[in-house]
Amino acid sequence: MLILMGIEDMLAELGCENVTAAPSVARALALIEAQKFDVAMLDANLGGETSNAIADALAARQIPFFFATGYRDLGADIGHQNRQVLNKPFQLPDLERSFREALSPGYNERDFGATNGKTAGGVTR
Amino acid sequence: MTEIADKIEEQKDAEAKVDSFRKNLGPFVIAAEVTRMAMVFTDAREPTHPLVFANDSFLKLTGYDREDVLGRPFNSLIAPGVSPDTLARIQEAFDGTRDVEPEVHYKRKDGSAFWVSVFITKVHDKNGVVVQHFISLVDLTRYMKEQAHSKMLIDELNHRVKNTLATVQSIAAQALRGASNPEMAREAIESRLFALSCSHDLLTRESWEGAGLFDLVTEALKPFAASSELARRLDISGDNIRVSPKTALALGIALHELATNAAKYGAFSNQSGSIAIKWSLGAHSGEQRLILHWQEKGGPPVVPPTRKGFGSRVLIRGLAHELDAKVELDYAAQGLSCTIDVPLPASAPNE
Repeated sequence: MLILMGIEDMLAELGCENVTAAPSVARALALIEAQKFDVAMLDANLGGETSNAIADALAARQIPFFFATGYRDLGADIGHQNRQVLNKPFQLPDLERSFREALSPGYNERDFGATNGKTAGGVTR
Repeated sequence: MTEIADKIEEQKDAEAKVDSFRKNLGPFVIAAEVTRMAMVFTDAREPTHPLVFANDSFLKLTGYDREDVLGRPFNSLIAPGVSPDTLARIQEAFDGTRDVEPEVHYKRKDGSAFWVSVFITKVHDKNGVVVQHFISLVDLTRYMKEQAHSKMLIDELNHRVKNTLATVQSIAAQALRGASNPEMAREAIESRLFALSCSHDLLTRESWEGAGLFDLVTEALKPFAASSELARRLDISGDNIRVSPKTALALGIALHELATNAAKYGAFSNQSGSIAIKWSLGAHSGEQRLILHWQEKGGPPVVPPTRKGFGSRVLIRGLAHELDAKVELDYAAQGLSCTIDVPLPASAPNE
């Protein structure tokens, strides 16, 4: 939970308004139903569940997103293997780059299924 | 017709070889038959390396009957589960062109598979001619399982270390932001890292499967009730309810923040105040919940803070998010109170 607070502070520093956090897949899916987000960052593992269902819901709505994880890679259960992955712990510039990348024009139109979309430095895969 | 006749001839030939093999090697055959190592001998004078001997361990390991295997080419017993590359390496081992011990994904007669390491050694006659090959098979199933298990443990350890580092990063950032001087920042970082470390110790004692709530609360308050005088002013009451590692870590941090506040401004900042911590289980719309109550009294009159500090943010924002908890913080003049209402899943998942 301290990690989330740290991220919230980083996002505030980057000038983000209205940051919403969800501790579980069910809560996240309800939030996605209820409001429109500009961009999302997903922890690959939410208390034992993978965030794959959230990724599916975001992709279906064309909401750009990327993953953050403390594991070396996403794990085979996640279908969105070629999305950006931010490795924990990360620094403010890494977080900023990931968000800028996700919010850049054409990000959603990219074919994540086929390309091995290596992104800006500090962000693997 | 000639084909069938040939087959029968071949079979007779193989049987004759098996018989002579038994006669020639006498006691060694008995030793080979009873050993727990799966082993076979093959005929080196045939290019297909047909089996002339198979011990009970081999039959047990592979699920074949003796009649199934004797006279059959070695590779035909190996082939169903393996790649052409592995077959080539087995050939190399027979030829002795390269010192290899191929690892083979072996399919049993019933189709189930397992990993074996195959050792192939030449057997010479008195003239130095290779007449047979001695082949032993070592079951690697347990080794492979252990390997997969240790990889999983290393991945999990790495994940926890990374998460812990991210937590430390956050603690340091918060402390540096909130502190007015380096001494304060240092104190804030150290005491929180110490609290985190205590929660880790508690969880490690129970193999990270969970922790007892009474133990957790006692541990979290220990640094604040160091003297017997302070310990008398602290009342902890509740059952040692099992909570998940995730809940334990979050509550540990929350309790540390409440205690820090009490020591600085609240009931533990004067000579007479006291803290009572109690909890109970309740149910709300079919969901089991833990209600933990923190009550201070007898401290200096409480003044609500003018700005939200780290502690109140941890409680209201952090705990609410992390555990899906309802947290009420009441700055009543006669003593601060805090009620934490947490859903307690029957079998809490690990994080």
